[in-house]
Amino acid sequence: MNMHNFKLPFILLIIFTLGGCTKERNIGFGVDEAHVMEDKSRKTKKKNDAEFVSILYTNLYQTAISPNQLYKTQNVVYSIGDQDVANEMLLSNYFNTSGLTIPTNIEMRKDIESFIVSTFKRFYLRYPSEGEKAFFTQYLKTNPNVTVEMVYTAFACSEEYQYY
Amino acid sequence: MNRKNFITKSGIALGGGILAPYILPSGRLFAKTGSLKADHVVLVMFAGGVRQQESVLGRYLEDSQGVSGAAGNIMPNLFEGNSPTKKIAYGTSVVGKPNGSEPIPKLLTNSMERSGLLFPEMRAQSAGHYVGLSTLLTGNAGTNQGLKVRPAYPTIFEYLRKHAGYKATDTWFIGNGIGNSTPLLNSSNHKDYGLAYGGNMFAAPVTFSNSGKEILGNAKTYSRSDLEPMYFMKNFLDQSFALTKDQISSVSNTDEEKSQIKDFIKSVFSKQQSGQLAMPPVTDNGDALNVMYAAEVLREFKPKMLAVNISGVDSCHSNFTGYLQNLHRADHITGWLWQYIQNNIPQMSGNTIFIVAPECGRNLTPNPILDQNDWVAYDHSDANALRVWGLMAGKGVPSLRVGGESQPVGRLTDIVPTIADVFGILDDVKSAGLIDPLAQSLYNRI
Repeated sequence: MNMHNFKLPFILLIIFTLGGCTKERNIGFGVDEAHVMEDKSRKTKKKNDAEFVSILYTNLYQTAISPNQLYKTQNVVYSIGDQDVANEMLLSNYFNTSGLTIPTNIEMRKDIESFIVSTFKRFYLRYPSEGEKAFFTQYLKTNPNVTVEMVYTAFACSEEYQYY
Repeated sequence: MNRKNFITKSGIALGGGILAPYILPSGRLFAKTGSLKADHVVLVMFAGGVRQQESVLGRYLEDSQGVSGAAGNIMPNLFEGNSPTKKIAYGTSVVGKPNGSEPIPKLLTNSMERSGLLFPEMRAQSAGHYVGLSTLLTGNAGTNQGLKVRPAYPTIFEYLRKHAGYKATDTWFIGNGIGNSTPLLNSSNHKDYGLAYGGNMFAAPVTFSNSGKEILGNAKTYSRSDLEPMYFMKNFLDQSFALTKDQISSVSNTDEEKSQIKDFIKSVFSKQQSGQLAMPPVTDNGDALNVMYAAEVLREFKPKMLAVNISGVDSCHSNFTGYLQNLHRADHITGWLWQYIQNNIPQMSGNTIFIVAPECGRNLTPNPILDQNDWVAYDHSDANALRVWGLMAGKGVPSLRVGGESQPVGRLTDIVPTIADVFGILDDVKSAGLIDPLAQSLYNRI
C-alpha cells in the first residue's frame, strides 16, 4: 500500500468523527425540586410486632436493637391483648432509661414549629398538614406542662405509627 | 312550627339525648337482666387432653397400664372417689421416698362433683387442642379452623360485650403461653364481632416472666394529669388517620381501663418482688403459675367472665407419669382457684358459676413410648379422644349427675350457650346463628 492510499481513510475517519459529535444540550422542563415524603393515605400495611419494636427502638435510641432484645420484647408485647397498653408500657419503660436521642423540653419550646415538623418526619416520615401543624402549635403553646416525652408517646402509640 | 309541634319534637330530642348513651352495641336499650343466673363466670379450660379413664372414671393405672387393683381417683377436688392405694406416682416428691409418692392434700371440703353439676360423658367435636379450645370459647365445632389465626366464629367474650354491654375489662382470657394460637383466643375475626368486642388477654407466663419484668417493669407510673395530654394528642392523631373497622388490631379498652391494666401489670411485678402473690400450695408447674395470675386478674378486675387455659397434661404424649402428676396438679390448682374466689374475693363469692371442661380427651390405645416407670403413653386422635366431661359449681347450680358412660349427655359446644344462659343472652347468641346447631345450654340438658 502506498502513502496516498493510507491518508484517504484516515482523513475520512477524522471528518466523520468530528462531524458526528454534537454539543449536549441541557434541557429543563421548569419542574421545581421537591422533597418526597410518605403520604398517610398510602400507609396501608400494618407493622408486625418485630417491625414495630425495631423501628421504635431505632427511632428513640438511634441505634439498632439487638436480636435477643427484639425477640424478648416482641414476645412480651404479643402476650398482652391490648396492644396499646403493651406499646405504651414499652415506650414508658424506654423513657425511663438512659441513652435516648431526643430533644430537650427547652429545645422544643424554643422553636415549636420546627419541633412539630421534625416530629412528624421522625415518626410518620411525612410533613404535617397545615391543620396538624396549627393544632400542635396551639396545643403546645397553651399547655406549658406538655413535654417531649408526652408528644413522642402520643405519636408512637398512634394508629398511623402502626402502619407504613 | 306551632307550639304543639315544638314541644313534641323537643321532647323526642331530649329523650333521645338521655337514652342514646345507654344503647348497647347490639342496638338494645338495656342489657337483658331478667334471667341472670349469676354475676360472674369462671371457665377452666382443662388441661391439654384428658382421658376419661384417669379422670372422671377414676381408673388410674388399671385401664391405662393394666395394673390390677390400681384404680382410684387422683382428682379429689373435682370428683368423688377414693384415692388409689397402689403404685402412687402422681403426687409430689419427698426426699427418701419414691418420685411422686406423696399425693397433694385435698383442698375443698366437698368435691365439685358433690356440690355441683356433673356431665360425666360429653362429646368433644374435635380431638385436637386448638379446635377444642376455640370450641369451648365459640360454641362452634370450627372444623375448618386454621392454626395461628383468630377463631372464625365469635367468642363468648364478644357475645357478652356486644349483647350484654360489658366493657372490655369485664371479660378476660388468661392463656398459658404465646405458642400456637393461644394468644388469639380472646377474639374472633368475625365481621360482625371481632376485636372491637374482644376480651382482654394475658399470656400470663410470658407477660409476667423475667423478660416481661425487664421490658415492662420499669415503666413509669403516669399521673392522670400526665396521661390526659398524651391521650388528647393521640386521639387527635388517630382521628386524622381514621382506621376502618377491619383494621382494628387491638381490644377496645377505654383510657381508664388501659390505666387500670397498666397499674395492674406493675402491681404484679411489685408483688412478685415482695413475694406477695397468692398461689396454690403446690406451684411446681406452669399451669399453677397461670392459675395464680388468673386469680390476680379476678381479684383486681372482678370480671364478668374469665377463661383460663391450662395444658400440662399434654405431656401424656411421651410421659404417662408426668401426665398423672400434671392431672393431679390441675385438679389441685382448679380447686384452689375456686376456693380463692370464695375466700378472697367477696364481690364474687357466692355470686359466681365455675365451669370446668377439657378441650379434648385422649386415645383408648397407647403409643409405644415408655416413660421412667415403663408406662405407655397416649396421644389424642381416636374416638376415645372425643369423650370428655363437664363440671359446673356455684350459685344456684344443682347438685346432680347427668348422663353416664353408656348414656352421653352434652357437647363441648354447649359451654358457650350455657355461659350465655347464665348472663341472660342465650336468645341473642342463638339468633346470631353462629354456634353449633346442636348446642344447648347445659341447664336445658338436665
